[in-house]
Amino acid sequence: MAYRYAVAGLGLALMGLGGALLVQQPSPWRIALWLAGAVVVHDGLVAPLVIAVAALTGAFGLRLRGVPRAALIVAGSLTAIALPPLLRPGGTANPTVVPLDYLRNWLLTMAAVALAAGLYAGTRAALRGARRRT
Amino acid sequence: MRFPLRLPADPPVTFKARLHDARTATAVGRWLGLAFAVCFATGVLSHFFQHPPDWLADRLPSRPYWGYRFTQGLHVISGIAAIPLLLAKLWAVYPRLFAWPPLRSVRHALERASVAVLVAAGVFELFTGLLNTFQWYPWPFSFVPVHFALSWLLIGALMVHLAVKWPEIRSHWTRRSPGTLALPASDGPDRRALLAGVAAAVGAVTLTTAGQSVTALGRLDLFAPRDPAVGPQGLPVNRTAKAAGVTATAVRDWRLSVAGPRPYTLTLDELRALPQYEVTLPIACVEGWSKNARWTGVRVRDLLERAGGGPGTGARVESLEPAGAYRVMEMGREYAQDPLTLLALRLNGEELSPDHGHPARIIAPNRPGVLQTKWVARLEVA
Ligand code: HEM
Repeated sequence: MAYRYAVAGLGLALMGLGGALLVQQPSPWRIALWLAGAVVVHDGLVAPLVIAVAALTGAFGLRLRGVPRAALIVAGSLTAIALPPLLRPGGTANPTVVPLDYLRNWLLTMAAVALAAGLYAGTRAALRGARRRT
Repeated sequence: MRFPLRLPADPPVTFKARLHDARTATAVGRWLGLAFAVCFATGVLSHFFQHPPDWLADRLPSRPYWGYRFTQGLHVISGIAAIPLLLAKLWAVYPRLFAWPPLRSVRHALERASVAVLVAAGVFELFTGLLNTFQWYPWPFSFVPVHFALSWLLIGALMVHLAVKWPEIRSHWTRRSPGTLALPASDGPDRRALLAGVAAAVGAVTLTTAGQSVTALGRLDLFAPRDPAVGPQGLPVNRTAKAAGVTATAVRDWRLSVAGPRPYTLTLDELRALPQYEVTLPIACVEGWSKNARWTGVRVRDLLERAGGGPGTGARVESLEPAGAYRVMEMGREYAQDPLTLLALRLNGEELSPDHGHPARIIAPNRPGVLQTKWVARLEVA
């Protein structure tokens, strides 16, 4: 119990330090707006979107579980980190900055995830079938 | 634990779905907590290596030579790994956002406020950090001080969160903890499949980006902002000679001036005639990418000594570039006296190219790339 209060107290102190550093910035309200925006975009956009996908597939009788869900998590995470180079506007400081063919790589990884998930699910089904026959 | 969802309207369908429970929150949360702890520790370290306060400047160690490369590579790797973890964690606890009544007591209000700060700071840090590595700055504030301030806010809110949730964390720590056992047993395989998916996502984002700093993974580098193989003389560049305003004419009449009790100047040919050393040291950018290279040049400590700098002196280095946040660089004693620290004239067996700092640049062990001053014009015993 005492530990919990000590950790919470230290946490509050560090939050205070962070807050103090923040208000010394030229326009802390703008930063606060961006912070609030981060929550709004996640809780109001990203999370509902994920839930809508699950609800939609559910409505078509597909329950997103196991391998298909894992594949979507991997594909979604890869897409999330591919978005900055794909959407970044304007030129770069020099040709060694953001130098890859990110669109090609994104398509490649999406295909690889689908293939890996298909192979995994297929192998598992085949093994299960073989076990049942013996 | 089922969520006491009493939404005024129909609750969204999938909230009936499983796994929005404290076992999932704990299992994902501990990896997320680890990732953020690593980010915080390596980030604070980087801050002090980049902007040391006076009392620290002469104490910063120049070894291990790969130290900064390792910690800053890890900073970006753990930050990217935290992206799938944060999304999974927030998915698991999302129904709690709609807890009803929204505020039960003062304590509950404070608790929710601290959670709001935690989520805001967590999402913000990962978002701005990732975009910064791509040199994309769509926000109206300067990245470094804000990212730094928020890291303290985030780690503090995380400690508060852990203290508040401690009873639940403890009772869901293992598969056989009492809280976990109280959850529907049929969720077990489903949860393990979910966690395996999250683990696979962490593996995927790590493997496709870590190659920008981990040489062995270079071929898998698909989404990182840099490819260590792309660049003049086999090394990426941040600031080109053109961007720095260093022209061919400025370089033509170049002399190195060394200030101290016995000041002197040297031409490039005179520098080439001094004892040359070859070292293998990395360029390790604050943005996370890094690469080893072979550098040849004169030891900084030899140059300082000739100007009358004793064995305990540091250095002040000035670049030819007319402006820039890092035009003047201070070098603590440990760096200046390290035999690996060179005023380099050659890179990977060739004369330095303009973008790598021709005619002469600093290369020192265990230092962020922005402090490896290019186009050096003046060295001063400090
Ligand atoms: C930056 C890191 C983290 C973020 C952003 C985060 C976020 C959240 C949020 C938003 C909630 C819901 C709070 C509520 O309204 O009750 C929550 C709950 C919870 N978190 Fe975290 N968390 C983090 C780290 C951790 C860690 C490291 C652990 C433990 C190892 C953890 C364990 C839990 C538990 C057990 C719950 C309660 C879930 C339930 O009752 O169903 N969290 N977290």
